[in-house]
Amino acid sequence: MFVTYGVRRSALAVVAAVGLVALTSAPAFAQEAKDPNPGALTLTGSVDFLNQYMFRGIRQNSSGIAAWPAMDLGISAYSGDGGLKSVSINFGTWNSLHTGDTGADSTESGLGCACGKLWYESDFYTSLGLGFGGGTSLTTTYTAYTSPNNGFSTVKEIMFKLAVDDSSKLGKAAVKPYIAIAREFDTSPGFGQADGGENAGTYVEIGFAPGYSASKASIAFPIKIGLSGSNYYELATPTGFEDNKFGYFSIAGIVTVPLGGTSSFGSWNIHGGVEYQKLGTTTEFFNGGESNQVIGSFGIGFSY
Amino acid sequence: MPPSGRTPRCVVLALVSAVWFGLGASPAWSQDPAPTDPNPGNLTLTGGIDFLNAYLFRGIPQDDTGVVMWPYGDLGIALHSGGGPFKTIGVNVGLWNSLHTGQAGSDGPSHKLWYESDFYATFGLGFGKGTNFGVTYTAYTSPNAGFNTVREVSFKFALDDSGALGGLASKPYVIVARELDGQADGGAEEGTYLELGASPGVPVGWFTVNVPLRAGFSLGDYYEGVAGDERFGFFSVAGIVTVPLSRMPTRVGSWNIHGGVEYVRLGDRNAEVLGDTSKVIGSIGIGLSY
Repeated sequence: MFVTYGVRRSALAVVAAVGLVALTSAPAFAQEAKDPNPGALTLTGSVDFLNQYMFRGIRQNSSGIAAWPAMDLGISAYSGDGGLKSVSINFGTWNSLHTGDTGADSTESGLGCACGKLWYESDFYTSLGLGFGGGTSLTTTYTAYTSPNNGFSTVKEIMFKLAVDDSSKLGKAAVKPYIAIAREFDTSPGFGQADGGENAGTYVEIGFAPGYSASKASIAFPIKIGLSGSNYYELATPTGFEDNKFGYFSIAGIVTVPLGGTSSFGSWNIHGGVEYQKLGTTTEFFNGGESNQVIGSFGIGFSY
Repeated sequence: MPPSGRTPRCVVLALVSAVWFGLGASPAWSQDPAPTDPNPGNLTLTGGIDFLNAYLFRGIPQDDTGVVMWPYGDLGIALHSGGGPFKTIGVNVGLWNSLHTGQAGSDGPSHKLWYESDFYATFGLGFGKGTNFGVTYTAYTSPNAGFNTVREVSFKFALDDSGALGGLASKPYVIVARELDGQADGGAEEGTYLELGASPGVPVGWFTVNVPLRAGFSLGDYYEGVAGDERFGFFSVAGIVTVPLSRMPTRVGSWNIHGGVEYVRLGDRNAEVLGDTSKVIGSIGIGLSY
């Protein structure tokens, strides 16, 4: 899931203040070394706030704010000069907390547990990444999408992502293309599927992430299209479930501003952007008949 | 929560193999001199997973069927260290989880493994002579609806007397916790909990043996039962052996395997829920500090 947004100013102010305090107010900070973490483990985390949560074009809430706290632990298991340049293992948790109808307001909406619990989604994932020459990488990821407030049944998925980082060849003209194929498993009709459909689905995503970095900020324009390889965007019709190939198209602009340099607390940033999604037949139906969706987001992130 | 499991042998072997691979099998690593500290910065990551045969929360029975797994992770942020009245100031945030294959999890009515997920944040102050004071907010939640969310604030006063007593140190502590919303005992009123504990330990060769002792009491409505609130909740003594997987920190931190046995003697209220006055809990796990 990638970053997109619309934030309450108060939340933004608090988050930014916390980040700035952590980066600047303690006397010891300014005296610390350049690389606080030369070891093989890398920790990244973030909290983002959005006005709308769309999972691969499928609407997940229709009111309130979504907050996405996430944490990832990366283990650099190998690096070398052969055909296989690097091996990495990642574990992480990604969460979505909702103030609206699928979260804190579920008692009124009757959705999910109808119990007013904020915690709509908690995903656990682990991935094995292989890096080859020419910036090519292949990553295999297992993800369990769970819903602590019973908003949906657990979805288990394995995904393969082939990506090329062409920035060493193309410089600022790099587009960083990728293709991802994900397959749901352990499903039954209505259960274990992102679309709540009849059969386990296969999802295909093709994307690019061109961008430009400067010393004080960077901007990225991720573009992606989500397709059903099979049964991923099923829609109930009078004659049964019909799978629609086109799920959505998305284009976004995301600005990331570093909060100072690397300190003994790692590298922090604030980021925000706007995403536009054009939805297909199934996803339009899930979006209440609206075929377009604009998502605003804002967040704070760190890497250590 | 103290480590205390009984694990399928294949799982243990897989975990140990994975760690050994991580620590030593990579060609690049064996060629690089291991840094004495791979992480000199101000953030510290600790984590692990434990396997147990039963889970009692402060003496309150949760599940003793199937296998209980506790994956957890903690991020510590050292905000200050130095002279003055406060030797250290730190913040910790973390997640602690309990996954059950038995009646409280995948074999229960929900058929969902994930019984408990706790989020906590701690603000800690370190004073002179090993004295520490911490305030912790914890939200105990149940993803499989095994219990209603409990929100709690706790205060812990601890003394690390190893500087003064060396191998005879007992590291005593006292915890007072107050439920803000929801109740661990499912009773009529939010409760206040008191825990007195100590954790003496000695290094034996290249591993460590700890003997944590704990006693839990209700200061008000924490152990509510049919006969009202009971003062005594539980007493526990355990023996835990921790074996480091390397003598020095590696590029992937310091890993260990640990295991032990805990004996828990319950008060009448908790014994009635369990159907027995005592419980023996075995555990084994793997831990990381980075």
